[in-house]
Amino acid sequence: MPTVTIDGVVVKVEEGSTILDAARETGIWIPTLCYNPSVSAPAVCRLCMVELERGKRKQLVTACNYPVRSDIKVSVSSKRAVRARRGVMELLLARAPESEELKELAARMGVEGTPYPKVTESQRNCILCGLCTSVCEEVIGCSAIGFAGRGVDRAVATPFRLASDECIACGACAVVCPVGTIQLRIHEDTGEVEISPFKSRAKLLFCEECGRRMVTEPLAKQILSKVKIDWEEFRERARLCPECRRKKTAEALGLIASKSH
Amino acid sequence: MKAIKSQAELESLRKKLSKKLNPKVKIVRVCIGTGCAAKGSKRLYELLCEAAKEAGENIKVEAKCVGCHGFCERGPIIVIQPGNIIYQRVEEPDVGEIFRETVLGGRVVERLLYEDPKSGKKAKTEEEIPFYRAQQRIVLAENGRIDPTSIEDYLIAGGYGALSKVLNGMSPDEIIKEVELAGLRGRGGGGFPTARKWRSCREAEGSDKYVICNGDEGDPGAFMDRSIMEGNPHSVLEGMIIGAYAIGASQGYIYVRNEYPLAVEHLRKAISQARELGLLGENILDSGFSFDIRINRGGGAFVCGESTALMASLEGRAGEPRAKYVHTVEKGLNEKPTNLNNVETWTNIPAIINRGGKWFASIGTEGSKGTKVFSLVGKVVNTGLVEVPMGMTLRQIVEEIGGGVKEGKKFKAVQTGGPSGGCIPAKHLDARVDFDELTKLGSMMGSGGMIVMDEDTCMVNVAHYFLNFLKEESCGKCTPCREGIAQMLYILDRITRGEGESGDIEKLETLAGLLDETALCALGTTAANPILSTIRYFRDEYKEHIAENRCPAKVCRNLFLYEINAEVCTGCGICKKNCPEIAITGERREPHVIDQEKCTKCGTCFEKCPFTAIMKV
Repeated sequence: MPTVTIDGVVVKVEEGSTILDAARETGIWIPTLCYNPSVSAPAVCRLCMVELERGKRKQLVTACNYPVRSDIKVSVSSKRAVRARRGVMELLLARAPESEELKELAARMGVEGTPYPKVTESQRNCILCGLCTSVCEEVIGCSAIGFAGRGVDRAVATPFRLASDECIACGACAVVCPVGTIQLRIHEDTGEVEISPFKSRAKLLFCEECGRRMVTEPLAKQILSKVKIDWEEFRERARLCPECRRKKTAEALGLIASKSH
Repeated sequence: MKAIKSQAELESLRKKLSKKLNPKVKIVRVCIGTGCAAKGSKRLYELLCEAAKEAGENIKVEAKCVGCHGFCERGPIIVIQPGNIIYQRVEEPDVGEIFRETVLGGRVVERLLYEDPKSGKKAKTEEEIPFYRAQQRIVLAENGRIDPTSIEDYLIAGGYGALSKVLNGMSPDEIIKEVELAGLRGRGGGGFPTARKWRSCREAEGSDKYVICNGDEGDPGAFMDRSIMEGNPHSVLEGMIIGAYAIGASQGYIYVRNEYPLAVEHLRKAISQARELGLLGENILDSGFSFDIRINRGGGAFVCGESTALMASLEGRAGEPRAKYVHTVEKGLNEKPTNLNNVETWTNIPAIINRGGKWFASIGTEGSKGTKVFSLVGKVVNTGLVEVPMGMTLRQIVEEIGGGVKEGKKFKAVQTGGPSGGCIPAKHLDARVDFDELTKLGSMMGSGGMIVMDEDTCMVNVAHYFLNFLKEESCGKCTPCREGIAQMLYILDRITRGEGESGDIEKLETLAGLLDETALCALGTTAANPILSTIRYFRDEYKEHIAENRCPAKVCRNLFLYEINAEVCTGCGICKKNCPEIAITGERREPHVIDQEKCTKCGTCFEKCPFTAIMKV
């Protein structure tokens, strides 16, 4: 197992682990935005830059996807690395000045504000980290959203920016969004949930027993198609809220227990 | 033609084809490269074909389409054999005279010859023209001589000899050693040692391997690779087949811009000809080695010249780069070991195999061997495609080959390396052209764009132009490139508008440094170069813009005025008539005046005035 020395702290990691993995092992904090262990690291926010020392050569690399293959020495706190992370954060703050989440992260990094004006348009503070699109594609398997446009016109969008049928309104994108760009909106009047700003809507299911609001219809369908249990009662119980489902199961178990007596 | 199955068969075919050549046939070579074709050379070819048909039976004349000769400034170019007489700026009405006098009569048409503006001497052949004299052609050796659509022509010129040589007696390792001995470095911009790349790919684990030819040339003003693909496509194929054999690849791709339709057409033809002859496909020349090539047309995104973005595009995904911590020679296209080289790099390979790595290494400098093709453009007398040995000074290229700056103006800077390169000022004109030297000067070799700038060029505006290009071409994937370039452009916008503030230069330097350190791919990390190099050499010009609201070159519209010199103005009224804003007033034969409130500084009056009475102040 190769050894990683981070700011003087030594740790052994599996070959192929990243510098970030090693850092987390040691408890040393490296700021990240576009990183989430459940999806492949795109390394696009560039906030996790650290200085790698290889012999005489020193270079900045992104900690989230640099694979450890041999013994390496890394500096998180070097002047160069701190300057690079600060610079990237300042650019992000200029893009999304109103994001409280970003400000909080910046403060933790010791960055108070940005010297740059806002020159690029961001949809509701979106920093284009790509976590939403990765989760939708890699975890949920829908690819309902993706990147549209290039350069400063880049944006996360549904195809043709129209409400998408591919979207099951599961809300995973909203869960992973680090700056709160993506939000779920419940429309009580129509009994729908909307994934904003993508305009995609889906009907909500209501518990057949107590009438409580549950997941969306396409999401329930997807769960049923993926969780293959060939038990009719399971399928029926999918139409119940978790509480009612528990009750039903308990009843059923009781029934089975009484029968066996 | 029947497929060839051995080296002996290839050589006998070559002999047969050479024998068929009748020395009595007169050959008229018409350049159909991009520049000449734009000036109507295709029509010249048709007219010459018609004339050849009507010439009668006892005189055999063959008109031939050939690739770029390089001397684009003087196109369309026609070369006539015997004598290799070169005619320049040929137009349709000249065809009859050329045919009658030179082809049939063997006499030279003096007025179509190139005349050296310095000595006034007329040049009959390429060798007598200074533009060609200082060049050394390896890559472009057959460009302008062979018909790019004819594999026979390529074979007669010795083509596929290098391939047959390696398949009959050179091991992959020996080939890589030969390329290593040659000291060949990648011609696409990075300058990475080719042999080292090949060896890494050969040694990488995995059975399916790919080779790729990067023909996604996108620098403004660059047309080196285009001319090679259009003018000698078989040389690209031969290099790739040899490389694939050395690396152990069975599939190759040529990624070429869709904006190069002629290159695509010629490559397609070449591939099908090579397949027919058995030089591509299963069991090439009975060596047991199989390899094929496919063409993939790029959609015109500059970033697809970046190897990882190119591979993503080849896979059918959006052309965006990825981190290269795991090199593409290990995991490239479809996660398989992939060796990507630029068009010019591949084209050097047959020559290295044929003449030896030692010979190749004898040309050039310590760290940069061989020659380099440049597209020499901008404010230079002889624009065109030039191939020079590494180590030639910039001065030689600009002054000797290029003939100096146009209209006798003063040289200001030469921009090399495309949008990611930098501007080199007059004081460094004696620098030698090689990978390391240009990098030391804050520019880079790049793929070979070379733009000459004269005294009327505003360097802040130049930085603005290239940065704007990069802003348009940034894929937007990573923060520093997407946001950083926009921030730098915002500052440059202000400076060129006369709204610069003190501290702007330092801010630009900080941002440029940040991009260099943190961007994901080379487009972002080198985006700093146009800014850093212009600040490095022309800091005063930036300062004048900011502190004095003055554009010394009088390019930035907000920073100068057009005025009419009353002493020179004859009151002819031409400026008044042409002004689109009706900003000029004045009685006939009386000096005119420009209303500065109305003037939009379009420059029409400046261009139209026959008495140069209009001044920029």
